[in-house]
Amino acid sequence: MNKIKRYYLEILLILPLALYILGFTILPILKTILLSFQDKAGNFGFETYKYLFSKKDFNMSIINTIAVTVVGVSLQLILGLFIAMALKYNFKGKGLVRSLVLLPMGVPTLVSGVTLLYIFGTQGYLNEFLYRLGLITKPIAWTSGGIKNIFVIAVADSWKVLPIVVLLLLAGLESIPTDVYEASAIDGANKIQTFFNITLPLLKPSITMTVILRAVDSFRIFELPKILAGRVTPFLATFAYDEYAYNNINASAAASTVLLIIIIIFMFIYLRAVEGGGNK
Amino acid sequence: MKSKVIKNILFYTGIALIVLFMVIPVYILFRISFAVPSEVLTSHPKFLITKFDFRHWEQVFKSGNLWPPLLKSLIVATFTMIFALIIAAPASYAISRFNKKIKYAVILTLFFTRMFPNVGIALPISVTFLKWHLLDTNTGLIMAHLIEQLPFIAWILVSTFETIPIDLEEAAAIDGAGRIKTLIKVVFPLAAPGLAVAAMFTWLNSWNEFTYALYLSLTTKTLPLQIYYYVLRGGFFQQAAYSTILTIPVLIITFALQRYIRSDYLGGAIKG
Repeated sequence: MNKIKRYYLEILLILPLALYILGFTILPILKTILLSFQDKAGNFGFETYKYLFSKKDFNMSIINTIAVTVVGVSLQLILGLFIAMALKYNFKGKGLVRSLVLLPMGVPTLVSGVTLLYIFGTQGYLNEFLYRLGLITKPIAWTSGGIKNIFVIAVADSWKVLPIVVLLLLAGLESIPTDVYEASAIDGANKIQTFFNITLPLLKPSITMTVILRAVDSFRIFELPKILAGRVTPFLATFAYDEYAYNNINASAAASTVLLIIIIIFMFIYLRAVEGGGNK
Repeated sequence: MKSKVIKNILFYTGIALIVLFMVIPVYILFRISFAVPSEVLTSHPKFLITKFDFRHWEQVFKSGNLWPPLLKSLIVATFTMIFALIIAAPASYAISRFNKKIKYAVILTLFFTRMFPNVGIALPISVTFLKWHLLDTNTGLIMAHLIEQLPFIAWILVSTFETIPIDLEEAAAIDGAGRIKTLIKVVFPLAAPGLAVAAMFTWLNSWNEFTYALYLSLTTKTLPLQIYYYVLRGGFFQQAAYSTILTIPVLIITFALQRYIRSDYLGGAIKG
């Protein structure tokens, strides 16, 4: 009782936020999970899941979602690390380069989908560029489904989020004290040894943060496939929306639940792997 | 010496390629919105702008399809920002003054709510809002946008309030100010710059938001929905023009606030 009196102001201040999150985030998620275990008549059971896993589109959407995350996040980490390392050096025009690299941050995700439509369209700029280089004679249909489409969406996603990845990794790089590098130089380590034995291990917290943030966003990918893939390449989130649009509420809920489970499993495995690696 | 020159050349080539990769898509967007149809609607589109054509822009402004979505997006983003501040700022202050363990737990909870798939939240929300007659209304969309924006803005604001020393509050208390008075007269003015930055990012996130808008709109459109509508219809130039309109405020605000974008903000994930 005393505690409540002492902290009444804090509780009063925090209550609206807590109630909002409870009512409009936690409860809806629980409701979605509940809906997924019901059939259309409202009976509980696994009917909806049985129906979904028998659908080819749904199984494809799981594979596509995982594929686009693996391809996209790897691409972002490699490019992001390269750019962040480059931005650590002092060179002429660094300020300008930094600003230009951050440019996609000022472009809404939806718009980045639209612009990449102009690039990856069959009559788009990438085909024209390859044609002028003499690499192709006939245009390639980049967005007509399959692996090519996953690649296109991974590139689009990478373009949009690269600034964030660069900033996260750059902050990590800048937190590594310079005397560590000096010590390794005195010990005669070359640049490649320094990178793999010093930079990467010390950068691990930043990389973990980046991978988790990016992978979770990438699993939930929605806007880019909506613009760049239409219905030919389903992803879990777009599949859930399509089912909702067809008024299959339960199927939509089940697809969302599968997505949630994938995110949780990923976090669990990744954190276990990182922690395990740290203990050795 | 020679190997150093080669290294330099390689380094700058790499930098140039990256910069091109980042800049070209934006250039193409602006280029198409001003393009002469015959130059881009072919199987061999031209890269450079030879002539500006303002016809698409004239059409966009005259068609009457621009103003309703623009207005809706402006209203929703502005009110989302205001309500996010009203709800999250006091709470963030309280969280920032908790002891470390509780603070960490709360922040982690905020973080986890951001991991839920938003299609999974939007589904029951849209079912409920249908019952409450909130579909197609600004109120409904503002409430939905708050779902995403509250954890985001709270995340940023907790770190803002943490930088305000608790001694100042104690000093105010000794001078006889009550706790609420201290909050209003001492803490919030000091936090004002942080509040402003967080508010602007919230505004941007709501301005760009697509998923909830798609779930909760049947006949009305926000600006992102209008773009999506033209993508579905294949409105080649409208897509570019509307996208440009959507992008301009985002570009301006992002670059104006560039120096405030710190990595702990990114933890809250500014997507834009």
